[in-house]
Amino acid sequence: MTAVDVVLLLLGALAAGSGVLVVTTRRLVHAALWLVVTFGALAGMYLVMTAELVAWVQVLIYVGAVVVLLLFGIMLTRAPTGRSDDLDSGNRPAAVVGGVVTCVLLVTLAGYGFSSAYADLDTGRLGTARAIGTVLFRSWVLPFELLSVLLLAALVSAIVLSRRRES
Amino acid sequence: MSDGQRETTPGAGLVKGLATTLKTMVTPSHTAEYPHRLPELPPRSRGVIGLFEENCTVCMLCARECPDWCIYIDSHKEPVPPARPGGRERSRNVLDRFAIDYALCMYCGICIEACPFDALFWSPEFEYAEYDIRDMTHERDRLREWMWTVPPPPANDPGAPAPKEVDAAAKTAAKAEPPRSNDAARPQPPWEAGDDGG
Amino acid sequence: MNVAVEVAVRVVLVFAAFLLFPLVVGYMEHKAMAHMQGRLGPMYAGGFHGWAQLVADGVKFAQKEDIVPADADRTVFKLAPWIALLPYLLVLVVVPVGPGGLVGSDVDAGLFYALAVMSVGVVGAVMAGYASANKFALLGGIRVAAQLMAYELPLVLSAVSAAMAAGTLSLGGIVGAWRPWWLAWQLLALVVFLVAGVAELRRPPFDMPVADSEIIFGPYTEYTGLRFALFLLAEYAGIVVVSALATVLFLGGWKGPVLDAQLGWLWTCVKVLFVAFVVIWLRVSFPRLREDQLQRFAWMGLVPLALAQLLLTAIVKVAIS
Repeated sequence: MTAVDVVLLLLGALAAGSGVLVVTTRRLVHAALWLVVTFGALAGMYLVMTAELVAWVQVLIYVGAVVVLLLFGIMLTRAPTGRSDDLDSGNRPAAVVGGVVTCVLLVTLAGYGFSSAYADLDTGRLGTARAIGTVLFRSWVLPFELLSVLLLAALVSAIVLSRRRES
Repeated sequence: MSDGQRETTPGAGLVKGLATTLKTMVTPSHTAEYPHRLPELPPRSRGVIGLFEENCTVCMLCARECPDWCIYIDSHKEPVPPARPGGRERSRNVLDRFAIDYALCMYCGICIEACPFDALFWSPEFEYAEYDIRDMTHERDRLREWMWTVPPPPANDPGAPAPKEVDAAAKTAAKAEPPRSNDAARPQPPWEAGDDGG
Repeated sequence: MNVAVEVAVRVVLVFAAFLLFPLVVGYMEHKAMAHMQGRLGPMYAGGFHGWAQLVADGVKFAQKEDIVPADADRTVFKLAPWIALLPYLLVLVVVPVGPGGLVGSDVDAGLFYALAVMSVGVVGAVMAGYASANKFALLGGIRVAAQLMAYELPLVLSAVSAAMAAGTLSLGGIVGAWRPWWLAWQLLALVVFLVAGVAELRRPPFDMPVADSEIIFGPYTEYTGLRFALFLLAEYAGIVVVSALATVLFLGGWKGPVLDAQLGWLWTCVKVLFVAFVVIWLRVSFPRLREDQLQRFAWMGLVPLALAQLLLTAIVKVAIS
């Protein structure tokens, strides 16, 4: 077990722990702030796995924009600084079942699907912008473009939905 | 922007604003750094009131006209021996105390206007802040000290009519009354020390 | 051992720059703003033209009482200034100062790193706005969040334009590829980057979140003493960081008229200070925008401009290759 493994495990524990805090905290804003820690830890894990670009994009998009959007929404709609006890939706058993099932499914899928997909982190720099760009626009260009069309469709439909009807 | 005053090119106003601030920046500023450089105040600045004691007759007009009663005057009467033998003995007022409480004074200058004998003057001095409010009451010796800081009045504008007092004095002089001998012994305000009548 | 010493030296140098440059920019703001308004600015602290004014301010802040409002969310309230300040320190690490590895740490995707870490600083201001238990602070926090979302996009897009032109995300690589004629090519991106950067820093004329004449001081309303000083330091450090990024991306970093190799660091410093001066200049010259004008300007003005520049960059890039 190398130092990198230890760091990875610690970051994973941090991400999981703050993730639990996100759903258990009684203060809505704290949930969003714990989410920052979770995303930060995730970015750290990407970094440890040499996926530099993904790590920075994670920070830029999720910490910098998504969480700020969340905070904006929370502060705009309900801004109590104290605790709110109505945050518990009472779906705890269902949530636990859902979480465990998702976890098992993901671990199994990843285990079976990618058990032979190894990447040697020491030789090449797989996570650099150049490497990811090359792969993205050579091997995976079709799914990538499909995804971008999907996102564009979502964007346009959001604009359409939010526009006032002229009556 | 909306009516008439539309800018010709977009952003011209922004550039103009930038140019204005830049121009101001490279022009030397007019700030006078006060404690190191004293301001040059005009002669009639209302800084502090000086008392020219010799002119005071304790008529109490100033104290009575003062809107916030900040002038304190004490006096007593002294008999004056008759001017001619066999004449009647007169009495005159002698000033015991003349004080202005600058903690109360609002610098309206009414006392100076009211004084019929030119005993009160504006001085531009203003640095007399105190740590104790009681020290803001200036007694007669301090008020006398301020008197020596009173600058000469500015000269009249060229071509301006002479002040009424000067006309009156000239008429009186024309009646050729011989000047009284004891006038010369009287102390004069500082700017009148040398020449007489200006 | 040698590596450890080198890392230590780099860290110390970056930290020194982080402490020194914001003070220089702050002093410049005092003086430039004063002279633009026909004043003199600080003249006494330290003797020569008040050079130690900000040091004196720091001493004053350190002596002030440390107040946390009764209803505040104490932990978040205390954490917020640090969250606001630290990202700028982390960004300075990757800014190349001179040629030949004169940089805190040469990160491969340095541009993305800088933009990502910079955007975290805004979370500090939002946290401050929420945790103060004050309606003005809350309004300020909401405005901070709205402003970040509006201006992050043009900022990133214009920065991407420079990266596209250079064909690399490494800040050092971008400076290396920079040519003087890029000034004309990337002019639009430079303007958009500066405007969006000023907006992201919440500096006038885009200081709606802290608009002192309408919502007191926005998220910083309840802060006093050292924590308030940290927010102020964050603001000036932010100016330094945005100026440094603009210098590196659009103004050619260490490239100057003469002696790039020896005097590269000097050229960088001069350019950074010049951009910082422009930021201050904008502050003095223009009044504050209204909140809705601010959003409209970002979405209707800057984003299309940035996209147009991106298109131009792509066309020229393809044409010359």
